[in-house]
Amino acid sequence: MTDDRSSPGQKALGHGGLALVLALVLIPYVYVIVTAFKPAEEIYDATWLPQRISFDAWIEVFEVNRFHLYLWNSLVAGAGSAALAILIAVPGAYIFARKEFRFREPFFYMIVGTLIFPFILLIVPITITWIRIGLFDTFIGLWLAFQIFAVPYSMWILRGYFAGLPKNLEEAAMVYGCTQFQAFYRVMLPLAKPVIVSVLFLAFLQGWSDFLFSNMLTTGDGPRTASVAIYASTAGGERVDWQVLMVMTLLTGVPPVVLYMLAQKHLAKTFAAT
Amino acid sequence: MHGTASGIEVRNLRKTFGGGTVVACDDVNLDIGSGELLVLLGPSGCGKTTTLRCIAGLENPDNDDAIWVRGRNMTRLAPRDRNLAFVFQDTALFPNLTVRRNISFGLDMRGKLSRAEIEARVTEAARLLRIEGLLDRYPRQLSGGQGQRVGLGRAIVMEPDAFLLDEPLAALDAALRVEMRTEIKLIQRKLATTMIFVTHDQEEALTIGDKIAVMKDGRVQQVDSPQDIYRRPSNLFVATFIGSPPINQFRCELRQEGGEVRLVSPIFTLSLPAELARRFAAADRGLILGLRPEFVEIGREAGGIEGVVRLTELLGSRTLVLVDAGGTEIRVLVQGEPGVREGDRVRLVLQLARGFYFDLDGRSLL
Repeated sequence: MTDDRSSPGQKALGHGGLALVLALVLIPYVYVIVTAFKPAEEIYDATWLPQRISFDAWIEVFEVNRFHLYLWNSLVAGAGSAALAILIAVPGAYIFARKEFRFREPFFYMIVGTLIFPFILLIVPITITWIRIGLFDTFIGLWLAFQIFAVPYSMWILRGYFAGLPKNLEEAAMVYGCTQFQAFYRVMLPLAKPVIVSVLFLAFLQGWSDFLFSNMLTTGDGPRTASVAIYASTAGGERVDWQVLMVMTLLTGVPPVVLYMLAQKHLAKTFAAT
Repeated sequence: MHGTASGIEVRNLRKTFGGGTVVACDDVNLDIGSGELLVLLGPSGCGKTTTLRCIAGLENPDNDDAIWVRGRNMTRLAPRDRNLAFVFQDTALFPNLTVRRNISFGLDMRGKLSRAEIEARVTEAARLLRIEGLLDRYPRQLSGGQGQRVGLGRAIVMEPDAFLLDEPLAALDAALRVEMRTEIKLIQRKLATTMIFVTHDQEEALTIGDKIAVMKDGRVQQVDSPQDIYRRPSNLFVATFIGSPPINQFRCELRQEGGEVRLVSPIFTLSLPAELARRFAAADRGLILGLRPEFVEIGREAGGIEGVVRLTELLGSRTLVLVDAGGTEIRVLVQGEPGVREGDRVRLVLQLARGFYFDLDGRSLL
């Protein structure tokens, strides 16, 4: 800031611009929060502050919609998907980073290239397949479906990181008593912690907030996730209780933010390096 | 029967990369006695590091019986099963572990010693290396020299059959390098453990080695004591690679003229001393004379090779004088003050008896 040579006018203009952008970003969120505490009769009053703070919507969300059950489902879906993605991507990325074999690069880019594939085309065949093999309406079915994105981008990020770690650390580990596998999990894995946390976060986030797969692959009797439950509560847009909708939106939106704040240190390390 | 009882033997080691297209080591033979300090010396890409890595088990040789330690064939054993300790050029310390845990890593993995015994060995090694104060630091908090000491500590506590050091000092500044090489040699003497030390620095090799193996293009050129490497190089490459400032080379013709054997070059015609003349009596032939700068004298009397002093460089107690003799640059090493200045006309006397004689392919003729 000390070498800022702009005039007061320019500064005011700059700050004004920033304030405008900030407002554009924040206003919808603030309105979500405000609406969640409005009583039903005030919903269509375009006021910022409610006349009366109401918790009716909150009670309804838990007692009528039983939304905590869907939040739990989202948690299981996201966490399971993240764990599975790590289990698959870590060894895979390590092999692609460290081992020489024929067609290594083409294979790798085929895997990463699936990210470009319009996955929406896969939804119907996957749904039919899942019904046939008994994975429809199960967590396992959701976890596996989420791997379609989670594995390729996890491998992409992890491989870059493993490739950047000095090879002689593993060699040192192997000279000083490790098998190759021990060298991997005693030396490489601890070093990859920031990236693994980042990949876990991203994979969790994707599973937590997914709508398309969750909607197609689950029913109200099975592991329906929060994002699908929100949609279902509006009966497909027919009937909207805005205050209830906003409470559910808040409840679904806050956990990723909290997780982000916890993982932020590691995320910064990961994406500053790559 | 392969292998001496206690040392390391490398037998006909061959190592190729890229499906046999790149030959890194070709027919490398070494015999390192127990407690001996062998230096593997050569320019970059000569195969010295690959040889060391084959000994350590970090590379897989092409032939099955290349590496013998204490009379056992180790060629296909995993690195951890060889009881050899490797010190890396860039230290390769584990960044997530403290210095203490780095040093004890190998013992922790081995799991044979008690916690107290491991701590005792770590303390002992730290004392030897004078890094007691650093034990609770992390590698990123160490200077280059300290890092290399920790790398040595990690090796020492293993009490291995041999230390394998891959250019451990290359990344350090000059003063530290000189200090550390003395220290490494003292430690090696004290522990009386076999050591193989890879370097591209001929001065380092001469000062530290009990024996030096000079390598070029994947092949061992000569294995000898530092004195013999310096005084009796087996070929032109060894003669030029060893010694600083580098050796003078003269392409000459050997001619029998009037009962004398003469050495004829574009800038001089000299009679060989009788003893040398007898050895070359065979026939007229071309050869290369190699003469270290300290065996060229700046003469006072008439005769000798005429030249003009181009440059003088003070090298501490000695001075290097570069003389242009009819388009050929000759390096002369003079003790103390040279007594000549740039632009002076001088006459040079070659001490032919101290010269090295090579055929035109660079093989020694003596």
